[in-house]
Order: sequence, then structure tokens, then C-alpha cells
Amino acid sequence: MNPQSQPSTPSYTINCRMIQEAAALERLCQVVRIRGFRIATMAVETAGEHLNIALTLEGTRPIAMLQSQLEKLHTVAEVALASGSVARSRSA
Amino acid sequence: MNGAQHILEAFHRHNISTVFGYPGGCIMPLYDALVDDVGVEHVLCRHEQACALAADGYARASGKLGVCIATSGPGATNLITGVANAHRDSIPMLVVTGQVPSGLIGTDAFQETDVLGMTLGIVKHSYLVEDADSLPAIMEEAIKLAQSGRPGPVWIDIPKDLLLTEVADTPSTRSTPQETGCPDLSEALSMLRSARKPLLYSGGGISLAHAEDSFRAFAESCALPAVVTLKGIGNPGKHNPYNLGMLGMHGSRAANKAVDECDLLLVIGARLDDRATGKLDGFAPNARIIHIDADAAEINKLRSADLAIRGDLNAILSGLTEALQDEPLAISNWQKQCRTWHTTGGFHAADNEEPLAPITGPAFIRQLSRVAPDDTVIACDVGQHQMWVAQHYAFDHPRHHLTSGGLGTMGFGLPAAIGAQFADRNSTVINVTGDGSFMMNAQELATIRRYNLPVKLIVMDNQCLGMVRQQQELFYNNRESQINLDDNPDFVAMARAFDIPALHIERTDQIRRGIETILAYNGPMLLHVAISREENVWPIVKPGASNREMIDETRRPSKASKEQVA
Repeated sequence: MNPQSQPSTPSYTINCRMIQEAAALERLCQVVRIRGFRIATMAVETAGEHLNIALTLEGTRPIAMLQSQLEKLHTVAEVALASGSVARSRSA
Repeated sequence: MNGAQHILEAFHRHNISTVFGYPGGCIMPLYDALVDDVGVEHVLCRHEQACALAADGYARASGKLGVCIATSGPGATNLITGVANAHRDSIPMLVVTGQVPSGLIGTDAFQETDVLGMTLGIVKHSYLVEDADSLPAIMEEAIKLAQSGRPGPVWIDIPKDLLLTEVADTPSTRSTPQETGCPDLSEALSMLRSARKPLLYSGGGISLAHAEDSFRAFAESCALPAVVTLKGIGNPGKHNPYNLGMLGMHGSRAANKAVDECDLLLVIGARLDDRATGKLDGFAPNARIIHIDADAAEINKLRSADLAIRGDLNAILSGLTEALQDEPLAISNWQKQCRTWHTTGGFHAADNEEPLAPITGPAFIRQLSRVAPDDTVIACDVGQHQMWVAQHYAFDHPRHHLTSGGLGTMGFGLPAAIGAQFADRNSTVINVTGDGSFMMNAQELATIRRYNLPVKLIVMDNQCLGMVRQQQELFYNNRESQINLDDNPDFVAMARAFDIPALHIERTDQIRRGIETILAYNGPMLLHVAISREENVWPIVKPGASNREMIDETRRPSKASKEQVA
């Protein structure tokens, strides 16, 4: 199959800060999956009581929908969509 | 004070007087503390799923927090359906489970399951208590969180050893932001004033926000034609002349027609779910949309709003009512049109006047609606009877209609009715169920008997899974598959085995006396209503189709054509 004929899947970079507690990362990852996105890369750093998480995500649904679902999590303090991330895409 | 005693102390502090639970190994310290505590009434159900569903029903009927308790392992996994049910319908609930002792977590200990991990997707938030000193803060936060903003279940999993450990009684919590004031409504008012065919579309968010009164005031003062979702039934009140009833898959022609024709849809406390909207491409094609909700994540989720307002529904509705008070909307032609549609396309099942005729679902529910007291709480199960209640029972308040909307949980009705009866021991509570749903939590007849709850049980028995059979008939070439329940037990004898009196009816002329008999009886009573296996819920929209493509009985395949298909 010619890869150029496949639709491209938008890619996004999201930076998330959340309180570190049991199952924090599982909670975040589950929301990403159930709302229709795939985690391409993930980097996690501990900063005191918080976790700083950088995610590269791929998915065809509106990223704003995922962002609002992540913001709804009780222990998520901040979700920032990196500027320009919508412009990057890869072949599915 | 140990962890278990602290939990009960927190219940007292938050006026939690009734909890639903089932004891077991790892939660035993809490049950031990209950022996000395007389301030909390513990209701022992006969299955943990029923504990969660009863707590759900208690919360729906009362507007208070529902609380359920279970042990680790199977106790916790049995809760899951009930908690998921509460999650999908945004019901405020606190779930407390025992966990194996801290040192045994991760060792595959007896009755160990990863409760935190397996329940992440069905809770608003959850905690695994990792040290005893964090318990007071977690309790405080969980109780507040379950009831704030968009409510939902919050689960606390506590290792057994921490229930026995002394705790420092110094609760401190992370702050939860509170809604303040009313957002700017000027654009909404401008859109309402310029609309010629505005339509009010409300859902379960009204009662979740305790905004029933302000909604009623708004709907009545503006005289806006109104449609409701399954969970919004009762919002406009049964005497509102512009109440077109439920929209969607089993909605009225009038409601779906009004949505199709309106030029402005004012969506309040609803999430535009697929059972209500049908195929989104064909939903409200001519309308601009104002979407008002407490949850920002619901706005623009499925259908883009022309104007989104997030905030406290009470404040917003009061603001709209006040602003529109001096200059009513000029929509008399639209109001007249909607009333005409309601007359010709509302739910108007005729009573069968042939006394010996078999009982039909709609006729029975309409009679029940006429005979039962105004403040009766109806707890439905899931299936055809649920839709007949939604279509034909005239509810005057959303808290009188308990139904499993989002999850569609068969077995919800009986434990929910138990919860509602504990919420108000003097109210009339009726569980309207089907033969399939009834058998899913029938063990709770023992709970009704134990507490002598005057819950009335109406089993509409068509000896099959009627809603599945109906869809197989209409959408699967009448190829019936695994829906036959003609080997049901004798429900009258079954009720009597639990020391609950029961009555059987099967003819139209027996309906009224049957209903009056169970309502007059001082205690629980079951009415077994035999109905036709072939009866369908009309109208119906094929799953995935547009609401414009409603099918009614006139388009039912004839018996001849069904035989041809077979």
C-alpha cells in the first residue's frame, strides 16, 4: 500500500502537571486512551508533590476534547497544549 | 480513635445517617466500630451490587450523598456495576472498601484485587489510603468532591491494618474551587429574543444542580416549548402546557419534530447523548445552540455550541428568568404550533375499553399514573417497561423518576427503590420492572422484608427480554436470539416465599383494582402483570439513524412478511 495515500493522523504535544499519588499516571493514560488518542512518547519528572508529564499524542478527534477531560481530573493542576503541535502530523 | 472509628465520625460530621453495605474480611474493623455507633443506620443488602444501586437510589431520591461499603476482592468487584451506574448518571456517591493489609498488597493475598486500578474509569476520583494519618483529609475531600460541581462517585480503598491504626484527627484538604456569581448572559438573551422558534432542552443536570425550582420558574415564566431527556423527565412539570415530553429514540413525535424545526435550542444540564440526539448530522439541523452546563468538558463534545455558558445552573436560570421578566418572548405562533404537535404527536395511548382484553404496557402505566399519589417515586428497571414509564407516566418532579439512563443497568430498580424508601420512609415508592430485570436483583426482596419497607413491586411480565426481542424483530429480520424467558418462576409464589404478599392480573378490567390493592396495603406487595410477548415500544428510531426517521406501529412488519423473512 502506498503510505502517501493513507490519511495522516494529527500529532499533539501536551504538558501536564498533576499531584503525585497512587495510580496518577494510570489515571491520566486511561483518559488519553478512552478519549481516542495514542501515546507516542511520554516523559515524566517528579517535582516535589507533583509530576510533570510531557506527552506526544496521536489521534483524529479534537484535541480540545481530550484537554478538557484531562483538566477535569481532580489531581490535574494544569494541561498545556504546546503551540504548533496541531500542525505536525504523521502517516497513519 | 482508629481509622474505622474516624470514618464513622466523618459520617456524623457530614450528616450521613444511612449507609448500604455488606461485611467481609478486610472491612471487619469498620463493622466492629458500627457495633458501638448508633448514629449511622447500616442497611444490609443481600449483594454488594444492590448496596451500590441502593445508595444510588437514595441519592437520586433525596439529593443527598449515597454511601456504600464492602470488603476487598469480590465485595469490591460486585460493587462495580452500581458504581459505574452512578458515574454515568453523575450521582453523588461515596464508596468505602476494605483492602488487604498494606504489607500484603501486591502479593496475591486472599481476596486481594487491584481495586484502585480496575475502577479508574468509573469514578470521579479514587484513593488508596497509604498511611493512617492521611485518612482524615481523604475523607473530607472525598465527601465534598462527590457532591461538588458535576457530582459523581468517589471511592476510598483502605487497607485493613489502617482501619485499626490510630489516626490524628486533623483533617486538612486541598481546596475545591466553588462557583461564584452568574456569568454574562447578554448574548444568550439576545439570541433568545431574536429566535422565532426557540426550544428548551433539559436533562438530568437540573436536579444534579438542585436547580429544579429555578428551572421551573424559568420554563413557566418564558412559556418556552420544552423537550426533556430521559433523566430530565419531570423538569417542566406535568401541568406545563408546553411540555412536549421526552425526545430521542423512544421520544414523542412532537418532541422530535420540535427539535427538527426549532431555530434555537437552549440546552440546559444535558450532554446531547446519542439516545437523545439520534444521528448527530440530522439533529436540530436548523438550530443555533446555546449550551449551558456545569461541566466544561460536555460543551462542544458532540455538537458545537454557538454559545457556551459554564457555571452554576441555579444562578444562570435565575438570571435568565429575571432578564426576560419585563419583556416576554414573542413566540406565540411557535407555541401554538408546538401545542398542535403535542396534541397530534404526543404520547396518547388510548385505554382499552374491552374489559377482558389483555393488558398493554402503555395502558397500564397511564392508569398507574392516574391512581398513584402525586409525590410517588417510581424506580424503573431497564427495558420496554422503562420506556413506557418515560412515555406515559406524568411526573411532576425529576426526583420522582429514578431510572438508569447512561449505563442502562438491568437490576437497578429494586435496590434503587429500597434506597428511595430509606430516603423517605413515608413516601410511596414503586419499583416498575420487567421479568428480565427483576431477576437480576431479586434477592433484595429479603432486604425489603427485613426492614419491612412498604415498597410496591410491579413486575410487567412478557416472558422475554422485550426490548431485545423488539430490536431483533425490527432490525435483525425477526431472528430471535436468546430472549425467551418463558420458564420464569412463579413470581407470586416467589414473593410469598419472602413473606411478601402478591397478586396476579392479566385483563384490562383488573388493572385499577390491582393498582389500588397494592397501594392500599400497609407494607410491601408485589403486583404481577401479565402482558403480551409481542408488544413493542412505539415509536422507535433505529440505533444510529436520525430522529426524523422514527418508526411507528403502522410500519411494523406484518406477520406474513415476518414469516417470509423467517
